[in-house]
Amino acid sequence: MTEATTEPSAAKAPTATPRTATPPATSGPAKRKRADLTFVLDRDLVDRWSATEPDWLTADRRAAAERFDALPIETNRLYTPYVDLRTTDLTETRAWEATATEPAPPTRGATGAGGGAPDGDPAAVIELREDRVAVLTLGAATVAAGVTVETLGALIARDARTAQRLLTNHASIPDDDRLAQLTRAGWNQGIAIRVPAGVRLDRPIVVRWLSGNPDRALLTRTIVELGAGATATLVEELRPSGPDIACAAGERVPQSLFTGSMELHLGSGADLAVASLQELGERAVVFQHRMASIGDGANLRWAMAQLGGKLVRSRIDNRLEGDRSTVEQVEIVFAAEDQLFDLTSYTRHIGRDTTGSLLSKGVLFDKARSYMKGLISIEKTAIGTDSFLGEFGMNLSRAARAVAIPSLEIDQPDCRRAMHSSSVGPIDETQLFYLESRGIPPDEARKFIVLGFLEPVVARVPLEESQDRLRQLLEDKWAAGLARAVASTATSVASTAVTAPVSVGSAPAA
Amino acid sequence: MTTTRDLVSDRRDEYAFHDDIVYLAETKRGLTRDTVREISGFKNEPEWMLEFRLRAYDHFLKRAMPNWGGDLTKIDFDKIVYYRKPSEREEKSWDDVPDKIKQTFERLGIPEAERKFLAGVGAQYDSEVVYHSVREELTKIGVVFMGTDQALIEYPEIVRKYLGTVVPPEDNKFAALNSAVWSGGSFVYVPKGVEVPLPLQAYFRINGENTGQFERTLIVVEEGAKVHYIEGCTAPIYATDSLHAAVVEVVALPGSQVRYTTIQNWSNDVYNLVTKRAHAYENSRVEWIDANTGSRLTMKYPAIYLRGENATADIISVAVAGRGQHQDTGAKAVHLAKNTKSRIVSKSVSKDGGRATYRGQLKVSPGATNVVASVRCDALMLDDQSRSDTYPYIDIQEDDTTMTHEATVGKISADQIFYLMSRGLTENEAQNLVIQGFLEVFTKELPMEYAIEFNRLVKLEMEGSLG
Repeated sequence: MTEATTEPSAAKAPTATPRTATPPATSGPAKRKRADLTFVLDRDLVDRWSATEPDWLTADRRAAAERFDALPIETNRLYTPYVDLRTTDLTETRAWEATATEPAPPTRGATGAGGGAPDGDPAAVIELREDRVAVLTLGAATVAAGVTVETLGALIARDARTAQRLLTNHASIPDDDRLAQLTRAGWNQGIAIRVPAGVRLDRPIVVRWLSGNPDRALLTRTIVELGAGATATLVEELRPSGPDIACAAGERVPQSLFTGSMELHLGSGADLAVASLQELGERAVVFQHRMASIGDGANLRWAMAQLGGKLVRSRIDNRLEGDRSTVEQVEIVFAAEDQLFDLTSYTRHIGRDTTGSLLSKGVLFDKARSYMKGLISIEKTAIGTDSFLGEFGMNLSRAARAVAIPSLEIDQPDCRRAMHSSSVGPIDETQLFYLESRGIPPDEARKFIVLGFLEPVVARVPLEESQDRLRQLLEDKWAAGLARAVASTATSVASTAVTAPVSVGSAPAA
Repeated sequence: MTTTRDLVSDRRDEYAFHDDIVYLAETKRGLTRDTVREISGFKNEPEWMLEFRLRAYDHFLKRAMPNWGGDLTKIDFDKIVYYRKPSEREEKSWDDVPDKIKQTFERLGIPEAERKFLAGVGAQYDSEVVYHSVREELTKIGVVFMGTDQALIEYPEIVRKYLGTVVPPEDNKFAALNSAVWSGGSFVYVPKGVEVPLPLQAYFRINGENTGQFERTLIVVEEGAKVHYIEGCTAPIYATDSLHAAVVEVVALPGSQVRYTTIQNWSNDVYNLVTKRAHAYENSRVEWIDANTGSRLTMKYPAIYLRGENATADIISVAVAGRGQHQDTGAKAVHLAKNTKSRIVSKSVSKDGGRATYRGQLKVSPGATNVVASVRCDALMLDDQSRSDTYPYIDIQEDDTTMTHEATVGKISADQIFYLMSRGLTENEAQNLVIQGFLEVFTKELPMEYAIEFNRLVKLEMEGSLG
């Protein structure tokens, strides 16, 4: 704590000495602390950006930087034993000096659409890389309906008042979260999506982030505002910007950082479905913060697939503020090798007769870890709440580790339901037997069971193309995991053999 | 609401005792290295025990207060008397027990209970066991049941072998405190293959304002042996805070069966911070049956470390939190060996602004294959002034564990009350019946007279809470 309280004073010092890159010189493999964040917020760089930004934004960034300095990585004491950033090394990671916030004309991208998107295409596509806007296309109908999809830079230039309202809404970034405040202080790319009241978008809006250049950081904010009665669908894709570069043995392996907020504001009666596919590279460190305020009678549906990254630390705050508001959240994790998925979701029931339904599922290969933390809070005002939280895990390797901490904090007993349940188990032998009895080979049967376990999210991805892509990613990951398992049993180290997915009876009895 | 609650509080005084005892030996308020030496000196302890206490004391000083759980800020370690000795020596016969103490016990009904079928009685008056009797037949079959202080004199080798092995002084701040200043508590030793036919019972009580009670219970059950130990508590009500920091260690050797039942009903000024842990070896079975209705704050998470293959753990934890009370209770099952099983069932009731928290841990360590585990937590809230929390930690590090967990929180259903009232019950009676049904998973595990007593206690707690 003393460390944290001394840092802000250093930040106020004049810029004579470079305030960046001052971590203790690490010679050799020094023992890392679990909560040691090696990333350095480059204040000089942020100050240089501020030179061309409005004052209110500069003030907001500075306030956030102070919060960043003061806060520990985890403020919730329930979860402090499960912080682990030791596999990350962001000492050299920096954001790009200059980031273009306008698309370089002419826009060309994956969808290749120049003008209005033809029927069947997404309502809008925006694709951002670490340093630039790669694609920005809006369908004609989307534009006609008054829907805006733009970079935060463009919004600030076009409509500073709205930009200020959205960006300095402190309720939309958790105030007690160090990493969220990092994003608020140092974001260099952002998206604002606004759907006016009463507008119903049939086709999804696609937001695509490309990240993963060695030692590069991309800090982003995505703000989505739905007016009363508006309906929209959002597909968020996090993809690697390119293949990882080869590193010689003993050479430092450069990592990358992606941080992203998603700030959702749902007006009364609004309806929003968000699907997120996270398939960043295996050297990516990912910090995500999603916060939704849900108005009277509004509905929010999340479907999230977590596949990529070296370490993913994600936090979701669903605030059911309006009466009869609902949230449905489904999240899957498919982890392998030394990946760590550290996922927290807070569901706060505030209005009357609100409904929360959260489901998290994890499948773990190799030494992968998943920490699933979920807290349902029912405030005194939240009469008639129905809240469910489920956390289910499947460990496919003896070295994998699944942690589930589903919690309840209840101040109002007058509820329809307040419960959580969780389970961890191996592949169900009876299901396996059934499939095998139908002539399906064991490995194939296992694949069906595992992918079936993860299907709830796949089925909820609204865009067919994205859905197919996710299915393929899951199958590829399964195949790769299986191949490693077979290889490791072939070298036959009984104690570390991956047992579940291997059908051949070569594993010696432990 | 206030008036009915006050009524209940008044009724509580019926079994809140405070006799003016002349204390023959007691330490000064506060805790120093000298206090620890003094306690050890009073008891003429062997050198190794003094060293154990001092090691614990050093750790106690170093260790920070827990920053989670309940509010511990009002505990003032300098105001507590750490040792009081109510009579000169451990009594073997009822006739030798001082009259004043005897009267208190009589109000608790001990001799009567003993006449009936008690296997043995260890009653703790303040900080030391003053009365202890073991039925002859138990002595004959080699079962030892006495105060831990006495056991240190009579069975030093067993005490030295096991004390501090299940809960080391370094485990937590309050285990360190207990290890430094412990006094009293029960010692149970059941030899190989012996089944103790009746439950062993000990009444623990706190008397004397600001008396810390730091009993240390050690239960060693040899191979293939079987025992059921029961403790229940009552205490006087005082304005200032009392601290109760006990340590209970259970060693369940291969093939043994141990059940440990607790009914905790400290007065509402007591901080009850207890470390209870068992080591379960091959094929053994350990059960904690734990109910908490009293105290201002209880932080207690009975734990079972499943160290041997095929060991089984069963924990039933019940808590009732009324006005001004915080029951932060739960259970821990740590699977360290193959083919081990555990079951945790928790039931809590909160009312009149009370707070009931379930906090538990289920851990399957690498190497513990083929584990089957379940955790079930249910909470009832009787009004919206109260609070209920559920914090289960589940950490699975094996690939063939079968674990299920479920938790629910809610209020008493209006349908149930309506149905019972339509059968002629008053609203109060109906509510009591529903609560008794809710807690039955616990009460059905109790010997009959305890079950009756417990139901009466709950009824008393609930009285008038619908008004």
